[in-house]
This record gives sequence, structure tokens and C-alpha cells, in this order.
Amino acid sequence: MFDKFENLVRTGVQSRFKRNLILIATLVAFIGSILLIAPTEIVKAKMLPGKNNDTFNIYVTLASGSSVEQTKKVTDCVSSYVTKEKNVVDTEVFLGMGSPLDFAGLIKGSQFKNAENVAEIVLNLTAKHEREEPSYLMVQRIRPIIQGACEKIYPDTEISFVEPPAGPPTLSSIVAEIYGQDAQGIKKLAYKVEDVFKHTKGLVDIDVMEDEIYDNFEIVVNSTKVAKSGVTIKQLNDILYLAFEGMNVAVKNSDKFDDQIPLFLSLSENSKRFTKKDLNSVRVKLSALRLMNTSGMMVPVTEMVTIIPGKSNPMIMSKDLHQMTNVLAETDMVSQVYPLLDARTEIIETFKDEYDVFKTGLFDLQLRDKKTGQTYDLVWDGEMKVTMDTFRDLGAAFIAALILIFLLMVIYYKSYTLSGIILLGSFLSIIGVIVGHMIMDIFTTDTFFLTATSLIGFIALIGISSRNSLLLIDFTKSLMHEKGMHKAEAIAYASATRAKPIFLTAVAIMLASTLLASDAVFGGLGVSLIFGTVAAVVASLIIVPVLLYMSDLEKHFHFKERKAVSIEEPI
Amino acid sequence: MNHNKSYIPEDIAGKLAKSFLRNPLTIVLGISLLLIGYLALEVMPREENPQMVVSGSTVIVALPGASAKEVEKIIVKPLERKLKEVKGVEHIYGMAMDNVGIVNAAFFIGQEKETSNLKVYDKIMQNSDMFPKGAMNPIIKPLDIDVDIPIVSIAFYSDGKLSQTELYDKVREIQHDINGLPNVAVTALKGGHRHQFNIEVDLNKLTGYHLSMGQIMKSVESLAYNVPEIKNRTKDNQIVMVGVKNALETAKDVGNIIVAQYMGSPVYLKQVAKVEDSYDIQNFKSALISKRKQDGSMMPFQNQITLTVSKLQGTNAVIIAEEVKKNLEKYKDILFENGVSYVITRNDGERANEAVNELVMHLVLSIVIIAILLIFVLGWRESLIVTFTVPAILAVTLFVAYLSGQTINRITLFAFLLSLGLLVDAAIIVIENIHRHYHSAESAHIPDDELMVKATDEIGAPTNIATLAIIMTMVPMAFVGGMMGQFMKPIPENVPVALIASLFVAYIFTPYLAVRMLKRPDHSKGEH
Repeated sequence: MFDKFENLVRTGVQSRFKRNLILIATLVAFIGSILLIAPTEIVKAKMLPGKNNDTFNIYVTLASGSSVEQTKKVTDCVSSYVTKEKNVVDTEVFLGMGSPLDFAGLIKGSQFKNAENVAEIVLNLTAKHEREEPSYLMVQRIRPIIQGACEKIYPDTEISFVEPPAGPPTLSSIVAEIYGQDAQGIKKLAYKVEDVFKHTKGLVDIDVMEDEIYDNFEIVVNSTKVAKSGVTIKQLNDILYLAFEGMNVAVKNSDKFDDQIPLFLSLSENSKRFTKKDLNSVRVKLSALRLMNTSGMMVPVTEMVTIIPGKSNPMIMSKDLHQMTNVLAETDMVSQVYPLLDARTEIIETFKDEYDVFKTGLFDLQLRDKKTGQTYDLVWDGEMKVTMDTFRDLGAAFIAALILIFLLMVIYYKSYTLSGIILLGSFLSIIGVIVGHMIMDIFTTDTFFLTATSLIGFIALIGISSRNSLLLIDFTKSLMHEKGMHKAEAIAYASATRAKPIFLTAVAIMLASTLLASDAVFGGLGVSLIFGTVAAVVASLIIVPVLLYMSDLEKHFHFKERKAVSIEEPI
Repeated sequence: MNHNKSYIPEDIAGKLAKSFLRNPLTIVLGISLLLIGYLALEVMPREENPQMVVSGSTVIVALPGASAKEVEKIIVKPLERKLKEVKGVEHIYGMAMDNVGIVNAAFFIGQEKETSNLKVYDKIMQNSDMFPKGAMNPIIKPLDIDVDIPIVSIAFYSDGKLSQTELYDKVREIQHDINGLPNVAVTALKGGHRHQFNIEVDLNKLTGYHLSMGQIMKSVESLAYNVPEIKNRTKDNQIVMVGVKNALETAKDVGNIIVAQYMGSPVYLKQVAKVEDSYDIQNFKSALISKRKQDGSMMPFQNQITLTVSKLQGTNAVIIAEEVKKNLEKYKDILFENGVSYVITRNDGERANEAVNELVMHLVLSIVIIAILLIFVLGWRESLIVTFTVPAILAVTLFVAYLSGQTINRITLFAFLLSLGLLVDAAIIVIENIHRHYHSAESAHIPDDELMVKATDEIGAPTNIATLAIIMTMVPMAFVGGMMGQFMKPIPENVPVALIASLFVAYIFTPYLAVRMLKRPDHSKGEH
């Protein structure tokens, strides 16, 4: 077998036609594989794919100012669907607070949740080996059902599904940060962006991080009347708080319990409730509440105050000292890159009527309101930013690796050409990496992404294939040097002899990587290594010999004189 | 080449091979390598995800009565500017709400936790005069992944025998016990209700008796007053202690407080209010649980209290989770008597252990597959030699990882799986060259030992350079920034170590084992 291969290489490298054929075929394959990523988007990129988990959370957020009873009604609705799932082992509902903190919650601010309008639901599933449906598919399946049924109980209810991330956690897959000078404009723009997200395919759990404004009532104290009535403003405030919120007025020590037992005083649940949410009900209730003045007379609260309806103050957010609002969206089993680009295109096109849109940075936008002249910035953050940073860093690491290898080879061979051949040979493994991802994508049910781990695999591959080329060149050199073989013969003999260990190590790498390939997160690495190694073997056994033959080997090996002249050499 | 003289190795490969080939300590070295590797595997803390150095602090300042706009101007903005002065801060997030302002300083990933926390604390304390009048003391909450994220959570629920508050007290007892376990950092309860006397005043009755809330508050306050024991002396200087008993013992006592006189007769608190020995009704937080019963249906939701346990940094989640579980078993009978059941709703220790064991299985499986492949290509003796080198290399790598304070996690093991394909190479190349020389007629007259050294030495230089090349590709990965860089760190940390180890192991042990295990074909008889 190796003899045949030796002949093949010997005739191959010596025929100009075959050499050109090989080189052109390589070039076509290289360009073709690059095309698979960039314009055609057949192979899709994502930082890390979804991971099959044994647990996930559902976050429920009602409109600001909603009561815990209303929140409970929504969680009850969600729970009724959750308990129907046969893979759920147990489920916990945490009303008014976050669930026990996890990695995702840490970034999403779950630990700071302390309001009546929030709740978190934890779902624990059966062990992943015994479950057919991966957690991410389950989320994809139940998300529309639950959101469809439970989000419409109260307006502005958001139900989002939070899975433990495969890698580092982020606030959300897509975060559009909208910066500007005035709160109103930011808000308006944020809701416009939200609208675009809602129409973008592949985006779910869309939310604007902006408090809903709700009606409230303000009690304006008339200080003259207060003074005339013989009560103090402090007394008035205290009594109002005591009556409706309640206070611990005293404590009782106890050796039976771990804490002091507070004595909590407030109006009874039945008598303090307003009949309706309107000005009149508030006034009626407050008129029944009376204060005792210094002379022992009872003064109704309404005598001293006026009640005016108002609006709640929404939270003001800022990042790095600039006022901003986030628009969040999760992706539904797709990479966040493509929906983001779609949404961006739509923003550029549809916002034209009201804003002048400028492109800033790589994907960011600047919008100027045509009426007011105010400018706003739209900056992408979240997983998109992490992805871009990671790919940029890994790309830099890749280039650094190439340079380091090149320098190492130059030191070893003292020849730029030989080092270049090795580098070129190792770079070709990218064909295998990309084609491998395409093949996997065809054979798997869900999209197989080119991930950060694929890139790590690719970087490792450069080392592997440069080693193959190196062993080949070294052997060729010693054959020419010690045995006095001619170039073509030496290359052919070296390729044939080195083929065995090259095959062996390649198969070893491929076998070791098969188990990697089945992992959700490191699948990319496994696939890169398996298919990249195939390409690397082809590169070092076919393309590198061709390139070697075309270079002036005697010169690059620094032979003082030509060792031998073969009869086969066509001079 | 003069074959009468013994072969002089030129490369480190040949030199290593030569000095260890007939050294009696080689076998000892081999066994001790395997041993330290095994020890490291057992002792190293196991985690599911690698540790990340993420620092940040949240500063919370309350200003009661201020609107969101006011808070933004007088608390959030000045605070943001001050925190901007701190070196190492990547982002500052400000949130201004009615009554309270929150500013969060997130440090660059990789900034050390303790110094970062100290910097923020220092900055706030130095400028504590910048807060407006009426603002409460700032609360500084540092972010601590290890301490903040519980590794075990347990939900306790009662079948009704115990009241909410009694359940709370029971769980508090267990919490204290578990907090005492070694390496447990924080234990916390979620969803419990505390004991409390509730005095719920009926507004209509209040009006009827001509009472105000203030009167009721005063009368309750005055009766619940606690004083220390009174110390007095007798005439012959003996000390007599007189304790003043708290006037309120039960809910009934509270109800019997006289709040006013109305038309000459006393008005008792119980006449205008419902007094209950109950739980904190003003706390809107609550937790519920439902789990699958034996028959496969879900039980109806019940109130629960979740106990969360987190560990100290760098400690073994597996061991702590096991300890917590054992401790719970101790309480099982007492809890059962009181009708309390519990469900472990999170066990990261077990999850980490499963993940690690699964990957170790993968690793072993991969080694076996490669060994089988080598049997077919090189023969079973050669295959056995290569297969031995793998655990030896992994053992060295594990031990180095242990010394450098790493933990065994998913990414470390992926680094091992990744390096597995690379690290058998050195041994394969050596054994293949030995094999080739053994079977070639040219080297028939060279003695075994010399041939071993020669075969190893020959491929030494290119193998060294090639391995160096692979290490070079891994080094830049250590400089990848951000969370992802931290997450992947085990790969550039461990793969180079494994590769260097693979060279040494290949040069030392492959010839050592080959000379003892391989059979040389007799060329004079024409064998191949």
C-alpha cells in the first residue's frame, strides 16, 4: 500500500499538470469553504450552543405596581402547565423574591429581586440520561404555550425562560442599550426597538427594562391646617404608615424562639382595603381614619390633606454615567448573530421617517430625532458583545499562534520558504473544519453551530498539522543528506514512510475526539479536530510534497553541493 | 557510522532514553507517577464549571421620601463619579428609584476579589460626607460567586402538623447545625415566616369607640416595655435580685391591654382589634413546592422553606454536599414525627461528581479505543507500551494542576480529552521508529539497547520542535480576555503541561518498556 502511495507521490510531484491540478483544487476548496460561512450562512456561528440541563427557571414579572396576589395568579397559571410535564420531578415557586441564586441569576440580578410583582419558578427535571427530550427543546416547546396562556391574564406580564448557560452567563442573548439625554426619548426609542424585535424571527422573551408607569395618589399635607388642628406632620405621617402598612411597635423577648417576637400593629385586612382604585375610595377611607390632637379631639385625616391623583416615578438607569435603557431578547434555539443583523437592518430601514440613522462601530447605530434634534446611541451588549470579543480574541490568538509557529520554524530551518510551506499546509485544515461543520449540520436535527470551541480546535489543529509537515520535511532532508537521494524520490519515500505514523496519530486524535463531538458545548471542538485532522493529513501528504518539490530544497536545506543527480530529473 | 563504538545520542531524547534504559529506578518513577496522579484525582476539589474571578460591589443608599429624579441627582450621579475613580472598574451601573439609589461597580474579569472590594469600600468611606442629609448609611454588598451561589438547596414542607412558624423554627435549628459543617460558608433561608403577634385594628370599631391609632400604639408600647432585673441589698448586705416580668406573655395578654376609657368603662384592645399569635403577615414573600409522588402524579402546592448552603472558595463541593446530606439524615426521624418532609432541590456536588465521572469514563474509553487501534497497526506489545504512557502523562498533568491550585471541572477534563489525541503522538512516533528499526535489515547487527537509544534519538529533534509548535498554538489562548477567557483557561493551562510530559514520558518509558517487551525478528532467518 505504501509502495503504491510512494509511486503516486513521485509521479504526482513531477507532473506539472498534476501539480497544478492539486494546487487549483486546493484553492477552490479553500475559497468554497470560506464561502460557506460568510455570504451563504450555511455554516452558522454562535458563541456556545445550548446545553442539556437537569433544571431551568421561569421568571415571571408583572407590570410595576402589581400585587403579590396578582403575581400568584400568574404563577399558578404557569405551574398548572409545568405540573403537566411528565419530566418534571419537582417545582418550586418563589413569590416576591428570586429563587436560590445560580450562575444565570447572578448576572440577571435575581438576588436583588424584592417586590410584589416578581416571582421565579424552578423546575427540576429527570436525569438527562433518562430523558429523551433535551431541556432546550422542552423550553422551546412549552414557551409559546405558557406565554400564550399566562401572559394575557394581566397586561404587561413578562414570562421568560432562563436556562443555565453552557458557558459564561450574560444578561441576555441580545441586549440593545439605548443611550440619550432625555428619558422620554429613550423610552420612546426603546419601545420602537422592542417592536422591531417582536417582528424579528427567532427572538423570544422580549422585554424593555423600563418600569411601567401606573396611577398612584399623592397626599399633599396642608401645613396650616395641620398646625391649626393641633397635630404634627410627623404624627400624621406615622399614623398613615401605621394604619395601612403596619409597624412593629414593640418586641417581646422569648427564650423559646430564636428571635424576639415583634408586636405588629396595623389596620385589619378587611377594614383597610380601598373599595376601588380611584380618588373617591381613597378619600372615603382616609376620612374614616382620625388623629387625636393635643386637646384630645379627633381630627379626620382628610381635614388636613388634599389627595391628588398622579403617576408613579419609573426607575432611572444609567451605565458608565450615561442614562440608558436596555431592550432584552432571548434567542429561540438560533444564534443571536443573525436575528441581530436582521433587526439592525430593519431598524435602519424603518426608523428613517423619524430619525437620521448613522452607523457607528461595527454594528452599533446612532439615531438623531428629526423633530427634536436629540441624538441617541444604540449599542449592542449581552451575548453578542461577549461573542464578538471572544471571536476577536480567539482570532488574535490564532494569528499569534501562526506567527509563533512561523518564527519557530524559521529558527529551526533557517528558511522562510520552508516555514511558509509548513504554515500554508497547516492553514488548510480550516477547509476540513468548515466542511465538517456543514456535514454535522446536515446530519443533526438542530443547527450545528461553529462555536468558540470550534475555533479552539482549529488553533490546536495548526500545531498538529505543522507537526506532520515538519516530520515529513525532516525525513526528506535526512534522506537527501545521508542517503543522497534525489528530491522527488526523497519526497516520495518520506511521504510513504511518514504516512504510517501520520495516519496513526491522526486516527488517534480522531478517535479521542469522537466522544468530544457528542458533547453539546465541546462538540465544535470535537468536530473541528476530526474533520480538520483529515484535511491536515491530506495537506501534509499531498499538498506539502507538491509545494516542497516546487521549492529549491537543496538551497533551503543549506546543502553545500548537490548530493546526487537522478536520471529521472528532467533538466 | 562506526558501529563498534556505542551510539552517542545528540538530542535530549536519546540522552534521556540512554540514562533511563537500564536504570533500576525507572520502574519506581513510573509507579510513583501513576500514584501521585491517582492521589491528585481523588484529592482535587471537583466542580462543574471552572472558577471564575468576577468582582464587583453594589452600593445601596436609601433616602426616604425622595423621588427617583432627586435620588438620581443627589445620590446616584455623585456616587457614580466617585466609583469611576476606582482603578479596575469596567462598568458602572446606576439605578435611581423612589427612596433609594443603587450603584453597581463591575470590575474587569480577572481582577482580584479582595482588593477590588476593598477599593470600593475605601472610596465610599473616604467620601462618606458626600451623601445628602437624611440619607441612611450606605450599604456595600460585594459580589462573591463562591459564597453567593449555593451548592445545595433543600426545600422543607410540612403536612400541616406544624404551623408555618414552627416549621421555620425547626429549619432554623437544622440550618445552624449545617452551618457548623467544615467549609460551609453561608446558609440562608428563603420563604419562611417568622413568629409575630399581629394586632389588626378594625377601622370601623376604632371610629365607634372614638379611638386613634396613636393611642393604641402608645398603650401597646408602654406595656411591652422591658427592663433589666433590679439589684438591691438587704440590711446585712445580701444582694436581692428583683426581676420585672414582661407584662405580655401570650396573645391573650396583648388582647387584654386597656387602650382607653370610654363612657367610664375600660376599652380592651381585643374589643377593637383581632390579636393573633401568628406569623409576619406584612411579608409578601413566600415559597411553594410541588413534587412528583410515588404514583406519578404531582402533589398539590404547599408552603415551603428553602435552606441554601454555599461553600468556601476552592473547597470540594462533592464532599460538602455529601456531608449536608448525611446531616439531614440525622434529622429525618424527628422531622418525620412532625410531619415534615424535605426535597433536595439542588445538589451541585452530585452534579459535579457525575460530570467529572462521566468525563473520566470518556477518557478511559478513548484510551481503550486508541489501544485497540494500535494493536491492529503496531501489534499488541507496542500497543500496550503506548497505552501505559497515557495514564502516566495524565497523572503528571493532574498533579501539576493540583499543585497550581486548579480544580477538576468540565473544562479541565475537556482539556485532557483534547490533549489525549496529541499526547499519544510522541510515544507513537518513538515506538514506530523503534519498530521500523527492529524490522529493518540495515540495523540487524546493532544491539538492542543501542538501537533503542538510536531510534529515540533520531526522531528527537523533529518531535521536540513539533511538540513545541503545538504548545505555541496553545499559549496565545491564555491571553483571551473576558468571561470566556476565564472559562477556557484550563485549556491553555493544562494542554502544554500534558504535551511536555508526553515528551519526557515517551523518551524515558517507551524505550525502557520496548527493550523488555518487544521481540526482535531474527533477520538471519529472513523474518520480518
